[in-house]
Amino acid sequence: MKIILKRLKKRNKLSYISFWIIIFLYLSALLADLISPYPYNKQFRDYPLCPPTRIHFFDYNRKFHLRPFVYEIRLVNPALNKYEIVKEKKCPIYFLVKGERRKILGLFYSDRYLFGTKEGKVFLFGTDIHGRDIFTRILYGARISLSIGIIGVSISFFLGFLIGGISGYFGGKIDNFLMRLVEIFMMFPSFYLMLSLRAVFPLNLSSFQIYLLIVIILSLIGWAGLARIIRGMVLSIKEEEYILAARALGLSTFRIIFKHIIPNTFSYTITAITLSIPGYILGESALSLLGLGIQEPYPSWGNMLSVCVGNLRVLSNAPWMLTPGFFIFLTIICFNFLGDGLRDVLDPKNW
Amino acid sequence: MKKILELKNIYVGNEEIKILKNINFEVKKGEVLSIVGESGCGKSMTLRTIIKLLPKNIKILKGKILFNELDITEIQDMERIRGKEIGIIFQEPSSYLNPLFTIGNQIEEAIKNEKSKKLCKEKVFKILQEVGLPENVYYLYPHQLSGGMQQRAMIAMAIVNNPFLLLADEPTTALDVTTALGIINLLKNLVATHNLSVIFVTHDISLARFISDTIIVMYAGFIIEKGTSEEIYNQPLHPYTKKLINCLPEKYRKRERILTIEGEVPSLKNLPSGCPFSNRCDFKIDICEKYLPGEIKFENRIVRCFKYGNIVES
Amino acid sequence: MRQYIFKRLIQFIPLLLGMTFISFIIIQIAPGDYFTQLKMNPEISPETIENMKKLFGLDKPIITQYFYWLKNVFSFNLGESFTYHVPVSYLIKIRLKNTLALSIFSIFLTWIISIPLGIFGAVKEGKFIGKFLSFLAYIGISIPSFFLAMLFIFFISKTGFLPLGGTTSLFYENASFFEKFLDYLKHLLVPGLILTLTGIGSLYRLMKNNFLEVLNSPYIFTAYAKGLPEWKIYLKHALRNAINPMITIFGYELSSILSGAGLVEIITGWPGMGRLILEGVLSSDLYLVMASLLIGGILLIIGNLFSDILLAIVDPRIRLR
Repeated sequence: MKIILKRLKKRNKLSYISFWIIIFLYLSALLADLISPYPYNKQFRDYPLCPPTRIHFFDYNRKFHLRPFVYEIRLVNPALNKYEIVKEKKCPIYFLVKGERRKILGLFYSDRYLFGTKEGKVFLFGTDIHGRDIFTRILYGARISLSIGIIGVSISFFLGFLIGGISGYFGGKIDNFLMRLVEIFMMFPSFYLMLSLRAVFPLNLSSFQIYLLIVIILSLIGWAGLARIIRGMVLSIKEEEYILAARALGLSTFRIIFKHIIPNTFSYTITAITLSIPGYILGESALSLLGLGIQEPYPSWGNMLSVCVGNLRVLSNAPWMLTPGFFIFLTIICFNFLGDGLRDVLDPKNW
Repeated sequence: MKKILELKNIYVGNEEIKILKNINFEVKKGEVLSIVGESGCGKSMTLRTIIKLLPKNIKILKGKILFNELDITEIQDMERIRGKEIGIIFQEPSSYLNPLFTIGNQIEEAIKNEKSKKLCKEKVFKILQEVGLPENVYYLYPHQLSGGMQQRAMIAMAIVNNPFLLLADEPTTALDVTTALGIINLLKNLVATHNLSVIFVTHDISLARFISDTIIVMYAGFIIEKGTSEEIYNQPLHPYTKKLINCLPEKYRKRERILTIEGEVPSLKNLPSGCPFSNRCDFKIDICEKYLPGEIKFENRIVRCFKYGNIVES
Repeated sequence: MRQYIFKRLIQFIPLLLGMTFISFIIIQIAPGDYFTQLKMNPEISPETIENMKKLFGLDKPIITQYFYWLKNVFSFNLGESFTYHVPVSYLIKIRLKNTLALSIFSIFLTWIISIPLGIFGAVKEGKFIGKFLSFLAYIGISIPSFFLAMLFIFFISKTGFLPLGGTTSLFYENASFFEKFLDYLKHLLVPGLILTLTGIGSLYRLMKNNFLEVLNSPYIFTAYAKGLPEWKIYLKHALRNAINPMITIFGYELSSILSGAGLVEIITGWPGMGRLILEGVLSSDLYLVMASLLIGGILLIIGNLFSDILLAIVDPRIRLR
């Protein structure tokens, strides 16, 4: 692991940086309770579609303050969502400010928040139509959007390895049947298949059920392509001389698969996992975006964007509502950079 | 006889490695010259140097290549020489022919100084006949031909402009024996009928003797011995050449053990100081490990070994 | 050649059967069927329902039901929409036209841009402009189509120089054919450009890598050794060989274009199959959903067949096997 990172740092700076951005994103999702300035479902009714708050060090008199502060803002025209800065009212930002009690990491209760103001509000990325802090919701939404990638990929890989492995190893009729099945799954446009599978289940489910459902649907779509690739790899490895040698030595099928074939697919697997995670993140976002995935009030990066669909007024007046989209983009591009970097680094030819 | 090609003091490589070092030889009109050596000794690179098609990071560092008294190293538009005055054929014709175009198309596009399509086509038919291929090959794709036929097509492509010089890079290595002999005989015929000069690269010294007038033996980017083919084969001077000839199966009786050359060709990145062959040589003396032997000339022969005189390479 | 195409056609038959079978199974798994909903509709008499049950073979075992259903599918009787009370095939016919227009428009644009750009990138590999293009390609590959669509809509709402939503403007009814065509095209532009932009990245990278690989192949060396001018080597030998593997992935590209089109249609308000299937899901209109899925699959089969035939035309190794 360390060696891989070192090599990544030397050969491909961009993917090395991406690696740390991804770590940072996952950590923030994990520690959302600790970082966020407000609870995720807290609605500030007086602040709908409030633009991102600017944090100042200099006030209007050009005077420098060591402690950063925000100006209080006021909704002046509810119809047009026009806000105005109250110049007289400086609200300094403090660490560990008091707020509503909430449970942290499911372990203990606390009423302290990492940062915040005593008066006024600090909305780093603005608020949504219900006046909820987008920064907070992005942190909590990351939990869904980022974890689905990992879990979905794991299930798909398990299925892909199982089916591809069986197909490639045993060959013959089993192979023929399984590969036709794979082809059928790949012949459906994935977006259509995703929606169709969703249609089989009721629209109203609990958050947890929906989460599971999304994972299952995405894995059902994702396994086919993987199985086909794994099969190809198993076939080519099976013909390699060292496998023939192992067979000639009389090793059992089981031992050959686990000792010789699986380790040889390792570098491919790591790369493929990294490069297929974006697909799952996109799948979740798309479903939630269309209102078929994670439901309010719980946030996911996808459902935070759903207000923007077909709502020109929100989109043109409050472009900060698109911030979750930017985070989806950032995550995906990082995974793509990392995946390509890993492919480069893990290829024995480049050692 | 007239000199077609002369390499003078050629060095090829980059800052890190030198692939060819102080290469000097000449080819006369109608002469067949063979370059013999193990893989990685710089044989193919010598050919690529002559047509100036070197890998991207490798350059001609020093020296002159006189082709018909013209210095190729200074020419910018090599297109007018490649294909027209120098042709080349390769070891694996199947990968050196474009799979998506017909043989006729690929030979035709090589023709220079001929505008009329009809005359071009006639020329291709003529050359196909000359290399022993039926006319319908014109309409076929490379994958429809056997290895021997593909090589004949390559030869047709290389000589269609009646060049002065043909470079052959192990053209028979990938073919089976009977097909290879057919190709060798074809080349011999072409030399006779077109008064063609050929540089024939091979690792097979007995094949080199059979086809060529002169043989050059290369080792680690140096020419270590040069002479007529009979001289080299019957009285090799350099210890390496002697060993190469000693490896030939035809020199042995049945059930006798064939001698091999111990050790391996040193990599170009860490050559031994002194003579590159010193680590495998039976006649090694102290000086061999310290200094690089220079070229010693005996009449027409050249050898690079301290056994025959103390000339040190500058 | 004819034999090859025939063989490919035959190979697609089990695929088609499998696809219809899976669609059928999904319908079966789904809770509630068509008739429970019909029964609740007082406008439909019990006799009609009985007749329809016979038509779909609902009194027979499940495999037989499948074949009844299949027979109906092949006579374009895909069932009736619960919400619109019209045959599903009628709804699909309208929407399919728009999806096809959108897909073909953006496929055409993507290829026309990516291929020359890929060659350019391959030639400039390692130089600043090449690295810059690769970086742009990364962005193109990574940006979610719905996010790009929203950005587009945001900028259009600010500038308003392109129409948004629908396929036609108000004056459409009494416009000339040419004006109608232009108007349609103008509406197509926004979703079309979004799809194109998200597609160029991967295609550019593929073309660039193919071209680089081909440039390193022995037959290109031969072409140089023949003394051909560089432009001819690039445009004749390298181009033809680099495009061939692109044709094989055409089917796959079509799949991602159709999927991408689905989302972009919904967000930009282009009335295509994507929106139809979403409407179906939201109103639990199962027959509509399954029919759309099936049509999507059939489109991909046709696309793959098309790329197989195209490949056979351009590659003599397949044509003359």
